[in-house]
Amino acid sequence: MDIIVCLKQVPNTAKVKMNQDGTLLRTGVPSILNPYDHFALAKALEIKKQTGGKIKVLSMGPTQASEVLRLALALGADESYLLCDRAFAGSDTWATSYALSCAIKKLAPYNLILCGQMAIDGDTAQTGPEIAGHLNIPQITFCTDVKIKNDILTATKLIEGGHQILEASLPVLITLTTPHNFILPYPSFTDIFKGQQKPLFTWTPKEIEADSSKLGLNGSPTRVSKIYPPAPKQKGQIFNLSSEDTASEIVKILQAKKVIK
Amino acid sequence: MQKIDSVSRKLMLESLKHYAKENLPFDLLRKCDEENSFPAEKVKKMYKDLGINLLLIPQEYGGLASSTSDIYRVCAELARIDLGIATAIFATFLGSDPLNVGGTEEQKKYWFTKMARENLLVAYGATEADAGSDLIALKTRAEQIVKDGKITHYKINGSKMWISNGAIADLYTILALTPGGPSWFLVPKDTPGFTQLKHEDKHGIRLANTAGLCFEDVIVPAENLIGLKEGQGFLQAQAVFGYTRLMVGALALGAGQEAIENAIVYANNRVQAASPLSHKQGYMHKLIVPHYIKFEAARAFIDKIAKILDENNHGQATEGAIAKYYASRAANKAADDAIEAFGGFGYTKDFSVEKIKRDVKITCIYEGTSEIMEMTIYRGRWQEHLKTRGNFYLDMARKMEDIKEIDFGTKAIALGLKALSDILEECRLNRLTRHQYITFELGRLIANAEVAFNFVEKALSGKVVEGCPFNLETIKTMARINAKNVALDIATNGAKLVNSVLEKPTEKDFYISQITKECVGISKDMDALSIVLRDTFRN
Amino acid sequence: MIKQTDLKNYKDIWVFAEIDEITKQIRSVTLELLTAAKRLSGELNCKVGLVIIGQDNKKYFEEFAKYGAEIIYNIEDSSFTHYDTQNYAQILIALTKKYKPEAILYPSTYMGRDLAPRVASRLGCGLTADCTALSVKDGFLVQSRPAFGGNIMADIICPNTRPQMASVRPNILPKTQVNKIADLKIIEEHFKAVSSKVRLVKTQKDETSEILKLEEADIVIAIGRGVKDQKTFAFIKELASKLGAALGATRPVIESGLLAKNHQIGQSGVSIKPKIYISFGVSGALQHTIGMQNSDLIISVNKDNKAPIFNICQYGFVAEAQQIVPKILQAINKLK
Repeated sequence: MDIIVCLKQVPNTAKVKMNQDGTLLRTGVPSILNPYDHFALAKALEIKKQTGGKIKVLSMGPTQASEVLRLALALGADESYLLCDRAFAGSDTWATSYALSCAIKKLAPYNLILCGQMAIDGDTAQTGPEIAGHLNIPQITFCTDVKIKNDILTATKLIEGGHQILEASLPVLITLTTPHNFILPYPSFTDIFKGQQKPLFTWTPKEIEADSSKLGLNGSPTRVSKIYPPAPKQKGQIFNLSSEDTASEIVKILQAKKVIK
Repeated sequence: MQKIDSVSRKLMLESLKHYAKENLPFDLLRKCDEENSFPAEKVKKMYKDLGINLLLIPQEYGGLASSTSDIYRVCAELARIDLGIATAIFATFLGSDPLNVGGTEEQKKYWFTKMARENLLVAYGATEADAGSDLIALKTRAEQIVKDGKITHYKINGSKMWISNGAIADLYTILALTPGGPSWFLVPKDTPGFTQLKHEDKHGIRLANTAGLCFEDVIVPAENLIGLKEGQGFLQAQAVFGYTRLMVGALALGAGQEAIENAIVYANNRVQAASPLSHKQGYMHKLIVPHYIKFEAARAFIDKIAKILDENNHGQATEGAIAKYYASRAANKAADDAIEAFGGFGYTKDFSVEKIKRDVKITCIYEGTSEIMEMTIYRGRWQEHLKTRGNFYLDMARKMEDIKEIDFGTKAIALGLKALSDILEECRLNRLTRHQYITFELGRLIANAEVAFNFVEKALSGKVVEGCPFNLETIKTMARINAKNVALDIATNGAKLVNSVLEKPTEKDFYISQITKECVGISKDMDALSIVLRDTFRN
Repeated sequence: MIKQTDLKNYKDIWVFAEIDEITKQIRSVTLELLTAAKRLSGELNCKVGLVIIGQDNKKYFEEFAKYGAEIIYNIEDSSFTHYDTQNYAQILIALTKKYKPEAILYPSTYMGRDLAPRVASRLGCGLTADCTALSVKDGFLVQSRPAFGGNIMADIICPNTRPQMASVRPNILPKTQVNKIADLKIIEEHFKAVSSKVRLVKTQKDETSEILKLEEADIVIAIGRGVKDQKTFAFIKELASKLGAALGATRPVIESGLLAKNHQIGQSGVSIKPKIYISFGVSGALQHTIGMQNSDLIISVNKDNKAPIFNICQYGFVAEAQQIVPKILQAINKLK
């Protein structure tokens, strides 16, 4: 089973805030492997354990993004590829998925592509299905589990109010969402050290034979026209009462709203 | 041989953080602290899952052979989790050190492979009731057992105290006096006649097991004598003092950072009189900012010495002492202020600053107290002062005076170094170092001066230390403030020191008025740092 | 694919209709999208179209019209009963190429978020995910959405490509019936299903249906870090069942394991818009409030009088949950 996992390095968004002047406050914000991608990688490792084969990890970003590839190599990925060039800067999901799909074509043959359902900085959940669209291969999104048996893939996919079990022949692209209480794996010191020796390639638009008009800001159909802090909320009434009075006050409100009679 | 690169280093620290998050939550640490118990399973699991114990084991025996630059970062990160656990792990590093320095190839192969494979917890047994920093008074003895004219075994008798991992280690590295002099022996836990005493009930680092050891006719094979040669013990111990003390400095740095960063997060969220505490100038200037300046100064110094040790492997005794002394004192003061920054909350056990405050005290004590450090630093540099005819610090000052960029604090530190040189000279001329207290204080001034000098140099280099959370501009501001503070402290306290023992006041003014003028701008810089700190550690 | 399209050739604003596969009901977000499309169509001076793919679609038309649909593109075939990415995408791509809508709005549901990017990648057009507000400026559709975990808002436009596509979070925008129902124009289109490489084995309603319940409940009780003990938690569960409320929680509570992940309200959980939201021990971090701030009525109990939740609630009570909850239960019991 040859698996490609797409990874993104993201700022730990819990820590990103906005300055008064409308710029992003990013000091002290550590960069991490997008947690959904981390889960996708964990699933890839699980599948590889059963089926054998190779895991290639792919990312796009600045030089620093190679850190997430190194993490993946330490965890057991076999080869890693970073799309790193000025031409890629400013890409929206369309241009990103286009570049990644060009790289994936270069990494062929493959049986399976795994992506996190979304990146926590953008929250779009678009890049995965857009890669599948560019490659014109089937996709199953928002999966909590994926298994492979006799070259048939079985995925557990979330839908509103429940889940579905789907089967697909290969190749297919899966986007994964991390089930609660799944603990993301981190590598041992020894595996990190061993990962140092594994291959890490940096590719530019030339290597992936991409149409440069479809890359970066110029290749992106969407534009950010403005960023701003979320609107502050209006203030209501605040009560500082004894616990008895607090309780009866709440009950009164609920009665007024006809929740209780 | 391949070395751990900076990305690997970062990943290792991340793995360590995540391990702690999953396995060592504060509630558990607090419980262990209360019960005075060592979470042995969690630490063993850390060895097994992370392989943290492999850091000091050479690659050829299944280890990672980390550099000093790697280890100090791991030590600092461990100390952020818990200084007791950090001490237990550090003791394993320390315990394998005599073997590393003095072991024969065969010994290394046997013992290191065993340590790597079996995840052994190791203890370093040097200290005795009458032999702390002064190992000359060593009483534990190892007698030769001779058979057919050959030494086949040693019989060890005596006792050790305050040994980290004392009651829980699998393997002990023990310093004992042989006929040929002090020597290190490897003693497995179950050796007959070897008993481990009760775990001490300590003020802090209660998660670290500390116990006495007792040896009654403990017989170990002659192969367990490290280096297979008697009398190498002191050399082997001394060779690593620079290194071990540097590590204690790193431990202190980690614990101190943890305390202050907790306080900043608290201050960001605690609203009093309509604004968060972190927006209040007095609070920040007094309780928060000065500590982080010292941490970054310490980090730059530790990093520099680590790099030197990575090149030369040993030595740096004075520098190691400076690192430990400076960082441990900075961290203690910081932990103390962190409690105050938390107000009443800080005084409860619900918040980690209370524990850190108790824990971090040990960094001023083990591997030599602060007073031993002051003495070591003074002795080391007094020699330099004499040897260079007073030019040791004047050379450093000239170097700073030659630099054109003014906003790095170069001028202030140059004045401070000249003042220091003058003070040493006054001490020499008036034979003031007869007073022990003066030697201690000189040790303090020297440590501050050298750390501040190095901090300015680092800022001038245009690079920040790997792992430092700030940009160059912030480091520059910190180095500048620190240079001014230190220069003023040297001049004023140096003057006081000298005059306090003289009959007539000295005519030297130690550049006091010039240094005071250099203090312009400190407040504005502190304001800027307040904002950087509250933004960097906001949640 | 991406080129400076002749923007003027594109008109009308479309909504992709989603029908719940299990209940066969119109998903409420479809009506929210129609309401938004109607409002925007006034500014863009165009019509509101709706695309529905499935079986027995006609029974929904009246409802669509009530919320502003003017043209319905109806694709009916028994082979389209179940959602399938490839089939649905090829239909939308073909319709778009033929009728050239200026904008298409998708529900930001599992289905919409699977379909829209697939369509966008093939059409080479811009797509903005998870919008929380839509407006028109200089003739462009301005798509507002939270980013960086809700810590900032961003306005997105598509200057050079058409259609402008957006997916919109359920329960964020209002749904309002139109004053005057337009004469519906129905356009029937026929497509042949391609054999899909993905096969549906089974659909199961399961405990994740609690997500549905939480999203659609009229009353939600949310618990935050201030609820620490099992006893208070048990009281809250009792209160919830008495009030017919769904239980939700903040991320720290979910992480502590007190409630399963599907109870999480907020940025990485579900967005809710109940009639009444009552919180205990919720401080009101943005990650949570982004998912509940549109609740009609917010009642909050928190011991810290500076808790940010008090800035967005209508009724705030400075008190400890563990003391208040049992007393509310007592008071309710007394009434009965």
